[in-house]
Amino acid sequence: MSTAALQPVLARPIRRSVRRIGLSAELLPWLYILPAVLAFGVWIYEPLIRAFMLSFYEWNMLPFSPQKWVGTQNYSNIFALQKLWQALGNTAIYVVGLLPMSVAIPLAVAIFTHDLKGRWRNFYRALIFVPMIIAPVVAAAVWRWLLDPQHGILNLALQGLGIAPIDFLGDPNFAIWTIILITGWKLIGFATLILSAANANINPSLIEAARMDGASSWEIVRDIRLPLLSSTALFLVMMTILLGAQWSFTYINVLTAGGPLGSTTNIYYLLWDFGFSSMSVGWSSAAAVVLFVGFSVIAFGLFRMIERYSFYDN
Amino acid sequence: MTTETLSLPMSTSGLQSRKKRRQANLAIAGHALMIVMSLFAVFPVYWMLVSSLRAENHIFDTALWPDAASLDNYAYALSAIPIWRMLWNTLVVSAAVTFIQLLTGIAAAYGFARWRFRFDKFVYALIGLTWLVPIQVVMIPNYLLVARMGLLDSLPALILPHFASAFAIMLLTQSMRAFPKEVLEAARMDGAGSWRTLWEVIVPNLRGIIASLAILIFISTWNEYFWPLLLSRSAENTVIQIGIQMFITQEGTSWGPLMAASSLASLPILLIYVVLQRQVIQSFMKSGIR
Repeated sequence: MSTAALQPVLARPIRRSVRRIGLSAELLPWLYILPAVLAFGVWIYEPLIRAFMLSFYEWNMLPFSPQKWVGTQNYSNIFALQKLWQALGNTAIYVVGLLPMSVAIPLAVAIFTHDLKGRWRNFYRALIFVPMIIAPVVAAAVWRWLLDPQHGILNLALQGLGIAPIDFLGDPNFAIWTIILITGWKLIGFATLILSAANANINPSLIEAARMDGASSWEIVRDIRLPLLSSTALFLVMMTILLGAQWSFTYINVLTAGGPLGSTTNIYYLLWDFGFSSMSVGWSSAAAVVLFVGFSVIAFGLFRMIERYSFYDN
Repeated sequence: MTTETLSLPMSTSGLQSRKKRRQANLAIAGHALMIVMSLFAVFPVYWMLVSSLRAENHIFDTALWPDAASLDNYAYALSAIPIWRMLWNTLVVSAAVTFIQLLTGIAAAYGFARWRFRFDKFVYALIGLTWLVPIQVVMIPNYLLVARMGLLDSLPALILPHFASAFAIMLLTQSMRAFPKEVLEAARMDGAGSWRTLWEVIVPNLRGIIASLAILIFISTWNEYFWPLLLSRSAENTVIQIGIQMFITQEGTSWGPLMAASSLASLPILLIYVVLQRQVIQSFMKSGIR
């Protein structure tokens, strides 16, 4: 069975077969990756280049109307729009508003509940995970019902407490926070599970050793658990920064259509609005290029930060 | 050491019981916290199901546990829009996307894991970077492409943009790279070509990962909203997610049928979850941790 004994017998056929396939050995891997490469080329990279090109034209998407070259005018136009700056500001609010629900609370809960017994843990896990598999449109519909100003159960409960009903989705002061809450509802349980898994992976002997040295529970959390959870937490922070505002697209489109007064419009919804409500391909494409460039810069910055600041348990 | 513990029996036991009590309190607080989170997570879903089963004149009731169930809302919803057709469309699209993404994913992962070739790292990186491209950035060119292909408002339009998944490729590549080289070598000794090795040796051994990927892809496609919103027009050719939206209008929502349609759209997924709970959680966790 030893490989050394097999070696001389096998060496020849292998070399011969390699020579026989010769050129096709170069081609073979490409045949395997071809379908995927074609798909990404057709649906992602070619459109990306095309969006870049379209950002220099004025066009209303009708097949027979002419595309007019306008240079960088689309860019100067959108940057002069108050709407764009409002949407960028709102995008930041979405991200910052989501962080407590996608990172901070899950982190606290994961640390606080690490010693719950197995049976109970599985029971809670099963329940808090449910929002993750619920479709965003369904979540939007259900929350719209829960938050309805006249008949929603939440406003009825508030009335019971003597508080005037709140128009959660129609009041510009509340709408964006309502959308953030719904986005967070889908994420909070999932983030908790991810952090709990990471927390459970911490080597118990580290905790035991610190306890022997007389460290208090808080010191153990601060000096051992938090540093060891930092890479997972940073990953969630990155996901929230890069995708948080994108996750809320469905809720914005179904519940507020960007309003009231543009208060829930983020940059992703603005692209949609430019493209398919205003039918302004140039503006939408210019905003898409700006978004993509900004997105990439932030992503690479975050990647480098994660590499530099995360600790590993080994 | 023995003398020390013996000389302080009272104080240590007192300390220990205090510590025990503190731990018990902490455990109760932990349970309380998790119960609050669980209620927050599950109540909206529960309320959807309960509301969907209320009779039309009881829709504004607030009893947490209704004493009579009625299927009126379902009957109304089914007569208002072609829900069965939409559910069927959703099933066809989700099953097709799952199958295609697994196929393209397995093939591509095999190509990356088994061979070194020119530009392999570069191509792999390009695939990994696709998630940097937000869907809204490429929506207009994609819409135009689908229109040029004459596929607007058809099911293939909802399937084709999901031809390959970067996540599936990366996850499968990682697990194929971890595959024991000796087994591959043995298959080659037996004269199996690369194609046969893939399907007869590797794929059967990666059943677990492939199954969890399938669950993940199926559920995400079932819940997909953006492409159908962009690419479908008529009720007969769209998916259930768009159907739900049809009950939400600015001038007043018919809550009962809306909850009934939402429940119908969620039941298949909730059913999968009840049966395969552990696998579903694991597959989503994999997508998050990586």
